[in-house]
Amino acid sequence: MIKKVLVANRGEIAVRVMRSCREMGIRSVAVFSDADRNSMHVRYADEAYNIGPAPSRESYLNIEAIIGAAKASGADAVHPGYGFLSENAAFAGRCQEEGIIFIGPDPYAITTMGDKITARLTMIAAGVPVVPGTTEKIRDEKHALEIVKEVGLPVMIKASAGGGGKGMRLVKIIEEVGSSFRMARSEAMNAFGNDSVYIEKYIQSPHHIEFQILADNHGNAVHLFERECSIQRRHQKVIEETPSPLMNPELRKEMGEKAVKAAKAVNYKGAGTIEFIVSDSLEYYFLEMNTRLQVEHPVTERVAGVDLVKEQINIANGNPLPFKQEDLRQSGHAIQCRIYAEDPDNNFMPNPGTIKHITEPHGLGIRCDGYVYEGYEIPIYYDPMITKLISWGNTRPESIARMKRALYEYKITGVKTNIKFLEKIMDTPDFNSGNYNTHFIEKNERFLLASRPCGTECEDMAIMAAFIDYLTKLERIQPPQYTGELGSNWKDFGRKRNVLRL
Amino acid sequence: MAFEVNLGHRSAKIEILSRNGNKALLDIDGQKYDVDIVMVEKGVYSIVYNGHSYNVELIEGETSKSYIVNTFAKTFNVEIVDAESKYISSRKQGLDAEEENTVVSPMPGKVVKIPVKVGEQVIAGQTLVVVEAMKMQSEFKASHDKTVLEILVKEGDTVDAHQLMMKLE
Repeated sequence: MIKKVLVANRGEIAVRVMRSCREMGIRSVAVFSDADRNSMHVRYADEAYNIGPAPSRESYLNIEAIIGAAKASGADAVHPGYGFLSENAAFAGRCQEEGIIFIGPDPYAITTMGDKITARLTMIAAGVPVVPGTTEKIRDEKHALEIVKEVGLPVMIKASAGGGGKGMRLVKIIEEVGSSFRMARSEAMNAFGNDSVYIEKYIQSPHHIEFQILADNHGNAVHLFERECSIQRRHQKVIEETPSPLMNPELRKEMGEKAVKAAKAVNYKGAGTIEFIVSDSLEYYFLEMNTRLQVEHPVTERVAGVDLVKEQINIANGNPLPFKQEDLRQSGHAIQCRIYAEDPDNNFMPNPGTIKHITEPHGLGIRCDGYVYEGYEIPIYYDPMITKLISWGNTRPESIARMKRALYEYKITGVKTNIKFLEKIMDTPDFNSGNYNTHFIEKNERFLLASRPCGTECEDMAIMAAFIDYLTKLERIQPPQYTGELGSNWKDFGRKRNVLRL
Repeated sequence: MAFEVNLGHRSAKIEILSRNGNKALLDIDGQKYDVDIVMVEKGVYSIVYNGHSYNVELIEGETSKSYIVNTFAKTFNVEIVDAESKYISSRKQGLDAEEENTVVSPMPGKVVKIPVKVGEQVIAGQTLVVVEAMKMQSEFKASHDKTVLEILVKEGDTVDAHQLMMKLE
């Protein structure tokens, strides 16, 4: 039985994992870099260990430092969160060697799914549809041309070791095949140390839909339905929701079954996500598997009523899943907005700084997974995401209305955020009708970035507040007036004692 | 006494005619405002005017006289102009032009790409440097048509906040 979990992460996800640990009566251990001494996860945990300097590769990516902290604390398990070492087979392997439970799949599943060509081959063998294209590494330009003629333009040339939108190239005309192939290969070599590339057909106006799966050590595997993640900016997800407006019950059942098949094909254990590309005409293809907890997991938790971190720990403990596929239902509709410290008026430049004031929304149907607090300085070394705001409603319109209400209530000063941009998305007709794909932000850019009108009266209110604040500050700088006798604690004490005697 | 306040490109005259606790009577560019204004939380002002409830958030800028102000609709840069800032701005006249001729990193990060060369003619809007910080890439673009005079960083370099990266002409 796991009694103490080291969370090898920071930020909101570290706090979120520790919350489930606390509910389960499990002690939590935080690790932190020099830049994170004041971070919330260090305050929340039962124990905390410094693991090195601020840059990630010297702390949160330093396998030996984390193993050292795990041994020093006597933790019997490690939860990797997402990002950092969560999909690092070497780290999972090192934990195994040290007799520490890695809360996630075994190194074999991570390696198989981490290499895109191997993953494609495994999926084809399991009968899961993949995007038409190659199942082997492209040898040379001639080979690339042959493949392109076979699958038809446009195509994507992708790095086999890639992911997260890196090492990808879109090719639209035949003349560009050669140069794109060479560039993709050198990019892949530079970024991942592996120059294997493969070719996939490019799906026009794609939807990005993923399925959450859970699998235990006893051969049971279920899916917890889909998440719609098509609202992306530069390959980064901004808003996720479930159920997907595109989905119908038959397709959901079919894709869910394929997702479970995909997980079983690599003998998967724990929580994982199968990502699919879905075309407008509802053809779907396996894209990749994420062998970890996802940033957007709360929408699934809310609608399926399952605490995914708790289930991860149960599975790591060797317990069977407490439910079967037919026990699982989707209830209502959930939406998640990612709130970033960035400036939408200035090309979404990250905007780290000190939180001067923060009021997070509350009320029915709102969940706020964050980690910042008043006076906290957001470090420059890590991700600019500060909060995940999750709304739930009986219906999609109710969930949207509730999200708008929560965004209105969310007040934060000291750093710029994308809150107004998110409010705009909630107002976009295409979002409200559910008629959108991964080109949503590009297509609606003008609407999303147009500022709301602020008339003279609105401007004057801004001037007034700044001016009054300035005057208040001036008054405070003046030395306080002497107002009579200086207080003395001894005198007060004496007087109080006299009164008590009476 | 009337003060001058700059809001974006607008310059406004503001004067407090009377003030009693939260209640204030102000004059902004000739318009009289009889308001109830109170700081409800640190950095957040609530203004009730003509029955309307306004929330205004203030983020203090680099000096105690400059603010970033968030209204429900829009974000503004606001600056209170007093004798001191008037003096400073009169001395700074020449500096503005210089600011346009340099590319300075606003925050620490890593230079990932420099798509221009020394001596190259660049046009307004052209990308000069790409810097990665907080896992995000930001592009620095030329504000006017210029020539690249000097490049002080190279691809792969880490840069500090306010570090000079490029000189233009």
